[in-house]
Amino acid sequence: MTDPVSGIALGVVIVGLALSTIITRTSFLLAGAKLRLGHRVEVALRYAPVCTLAAIIVPDILLHPPGTTLDLSVFNPRLIGALAAGLWLCWSRNIVGCLGFGMAAYTLARLYL
Amino acid sequence: MVKGGLAVPWAIAMSLLVYAGSAQLAALPLIVAGAPLWVIVATGLITNLRFVIYSAALRPHFADRPAAVRAALGFFMTDFTFTRFMRSVQEGSLPEQRDAWFAGVCANNWIIWQVSAMTGIIGASYVPIEWGLEFTGTLALVALVGPSLNARPAVVGAVVAAIVALLAFSLPFKLGLFCGAIAGITAATLADHWQQPPPPAKPEGA
Repeated sequence: MTDPVSGIALGVVIVGLALSTIITRTSFLLAGAKLRLGHRVEVALRYAPVCTLAAIIVPDILLHPPGTTLDLSVFNPRLIGALAAGLWLCWSRNIVGCLGFGMAAYTLARLYL
Repeated sequence: MVKGGLAVPWAIAMSLLVYAGSAQLAALPLIVAGAPLWVIVATGLITNLRFVIYSAALRPHFADRPAAVRAALGFFMTDFTFTRFMRSVQEGSLPEQRDAWFAGVCANNWIIWQVSAMTGIIGASYVPIEWGLEFTGTLALVALVGPSLNARPAVVGAVVAAIVALLAFSLPFKLGLFCGAIAGITAATLADHWQQPPPPAKPEGA
């Protein structure tokens, strides 16, 4: 791993992200009563987070070694870990358990497969 | 966060200022990979878009309160506090001082969140790098996405987003992420439209 990221550029990124939080969370609370969300827009906004997160995590899990080629075999420890976490989620909604079980499976697959 | 590659003071600043778990987790790999500023902020913005709906839903309940109060309540709102508030609205158990009540719920949530975050940020420096702890970030996102896959359009959108993101992965500036997100949102919206026609109160184009 390289040195931890820091510096002015990171400060700008953090301010930018903070603005994204502030703008989205206060948007309609501060807007005038005339402004309304159309049905289509509301539907699209509802699905935006799940789609974005899927677009982030699936390549992160399936490309092995990270960022290279598609690996759907048992020799991809991230896939094993994510499947284990997913199974845990189906069984229980406990997030800590999901992380623990997923990390355990990931670590075992990484060390022994 | 720290294991993702942020120096400790910056990770603390991020937790305090951004205060949006999913946006932070989504932005982290991009920061570490050195993605351009606009890509990182745009990613944070899309993951935060659900709060636009939340704030629209909250507005009628706080319309008579000063703008400063509305802004503060908005910033400290989270998935959990919003859901909690709406449940009380449904139950009709909301007190007259609903802004104070909501502020209390949000403050409680904020304290627990930040204490946990600080513990993690400081504790992570004592964990050996070989443990591969950065993968917990991805797993945390899996845990966030899982429960949202409870409706068919969401599943359609997530699958389309994942496939497009994989196909477009080699695009520069993490643009594959955006292609995937936009394709997924489009697919989910269409699937939602086919599954149930829009309510008659708001006709097409309204």
